[in-house]
Amino acid sequence: MLDQALEALKTYDWGVDVAVLTPIEEAAVATHADPSARADLETKLAALLDDELSRDAKDYVCRKLMAIGTAASVAALAPLLANPESSHMARYALERIPAPEAGQALRDALAQVDGELKVGMIGSLAKRPADESLSALTPLVNDDDPAVAKAAITALGRLRTPEAAQALAQAKPADEQAQLAAIDARLACAESLLAAGKKTEAMALYKPLMAADQPKHVRLAATRGLLASSGKKVD
Amino acid sequence: MGGQYRSTRRGFLKTAGAAVAAPYVITSTALGQGAIPPASDRIVMAGIGIGNQGRSDQGAFLDRPDVQYVALSDVRQSVRDAAKARVDEHYQNQDCQTYNDYREVITRDDVDAVHVATPDHWHAIMVIEACRNGKDVYCQKPETRTLREGPLMIEAARRFARVVSGGSQRVLEDYRELVNKCWSGELGRIKWINVNVGPLSQLCNLPAEETPADIDWDMWLGPAPWAPYNAQRCSGNFATTGGSWRSYVDYSGGGMTDWGAHHFGGATFAIDVREQQPVEVEYIAEAQGAYLAFHYPNGVIIYHNKPQTENLAVEGDPGEQREAKPVPVYKGEGGIYGDFIHCVKTRERPFRDIELGVNTIAVSHLGTIAYNLKRSLKWDAAAQKFPGDEEANRYLDRARREPWVL
Repeated sequence: MLDQALEALKTYDWGVDVAVLTPIEEAAVATHADPSARADLETKLAALLDDELSRDAKDYVCRKLMAIGTAASVAALAPLLANPESSHMARYALERIPAPEAGQALRDALAQVDGELKVGMIGSLAKRPADESLSALTPLVNDDDPAVAKAAITALGRLRTPEAAQALAQAKPADEQAQLAAIDARLACAESLLAAGKKTEAMALYKPLMAADQPKHVRLAATRGLLASSGKKVD
Repeated sequence: MGGQYRSTRRGFLKTAGAAVAAPYVITSTALGQGAIPPASDRIVMAGIGIGNQGRSDQGAFLDRPDVQYVALSDVRQSVRDAAKARVDEHYQNQDCQTYNDYREVITRDDVDAVHVATPDHWHAIMVIEACRNGKDVYCQKPETRTLREGPLMIEAARRFARVVSGGSQRVLEDYRELVNKCWSGELGRIKWINVNVGPLSQLCNLPAEETPADIDWDMWLGPAPWAPYNAQRCSGNFATTGGSWRSYVDYSGGGMTDWGAHHFGGATFAIDVREQQPVEVEYIAEAQGAYLAFHYPNGVIIYHNKPQTENLAVEGDPGEQREAKPVPVYKGEGGIYGDFIHCVKTRERPFRDIELGVNTIAVSHLGTIAYNLKRSLKWDAAAQKFPGDEEANRYLDRARREPWVL
């Protein structure tokens, strides 16, 4: 049954009944406590990415590798990252594979792609461990492409480490929405510092946001942060 | 991308200044008359996603004299046109501005609050960006599509001190009697409650159809995986078993989240765990099928699809006293919409504050993951992780299609 379903992927395309893939769905779950069987399933799925599958079939394989993929699948997924048709679903899998090799593949691709694909890569790196992603994201905060800069700033805000806060200090976005993203990211880092008891460092992030030229809701956010930094209870 | 207009309060003032020589008539509507507050006291609103439920939400806000509805966004031209016509007819003018791209709405300086009723896969991005731009938000339920989105939405609301309300009116209006019974102490200490709701959403593999000129298909898909247009894929009808986006996993959690928002919302309200999330989801496999038990820190259980048990059946222990507590209700007037507008004015937390909505839908998401993995799961709500469960943690979120990031 499983072999038939894997074979069915070779002709799978939009409009085909998804029920033909049910044995794959069942195997992905049933192999939870059987590492050998799961590795076998992963190998077979990853191998299919080398075939002339439809976009739909490749997407499906990526969905399953998101669930069961390991470092062993990275070599099959990585080449898909630079292709606009497959980049997202390759990230769909790689982003969730805990192996550091998956993060490395995303960082390698980051250097090879531009525009929207680069933005996508940044969005996925934001969800990888901070020590994997920080050095790749930092140089992008002032990228010529405002969308890339905004994505990198947002990603650093999600990492919210002291090092991310330092990287954000270098960001000088010109685009208004990127500026707001930078404010949001700095506030996130400040909150993280505050939670760690680093009040002085947090206040240093809040204070510039009190400037009169900042939007009202930003000044409000900074005020609340400063109050919290000084030990006052903020609802 | 691009809307037809970009109107800002500053832009208006600039224009008004240039036209200073023209006669200017202040209408009685602008000044307020009878029950209608003057324009300066009205909440300026816009809508995002105006088909189906969004249309209903628009109508509710439009009918309020303390709301001035000025703009809307939808990826369907026909929906935009119809929604604008409703607004313009209501105000007897042609002023409502329409946009294909929601970002044109949330960046308008003159808009105080937006209501969001897009498919669920868009909610988090829109709510967070709206908060970042200083807007209050009424977001339709289910508020999230993944577990990771919830804390980020709460953070954005709290960080910028925004009023963000979820959208299940049924939590209070359908279950008030049950809630009163539980909160009055009549049942003693609550032991368990059962929720029957479903099904889970499914992978959509509908065939490609020609994309109508009416819809911006790429924008409809947004952060979801690319797929060819199919009318059923993006239909906003309320089915959860096929033929609507509510049925498909890339856009919705199916009945488990769509109706779950109501039923789990009512259940968590009744047993007073709205501010918590479960610590364990127990997967109970029986011959007639599996069901779930969500265990809360205080020992109370929410069952899902407990065999031979009615929806929202509740069991307490009358031998154990429970102190009666006053039941929270809407603030202001006009149901859940009035509650939101009241809170926009007063800066109070709304009845369906985003945190409560997120906690409710977390139950649906946790249950979905347990059903999909066919096993019990521990949940650390503070860390928002399945402790020591690398496989389950993969389902906390999903990669978004470029250029959308969260």
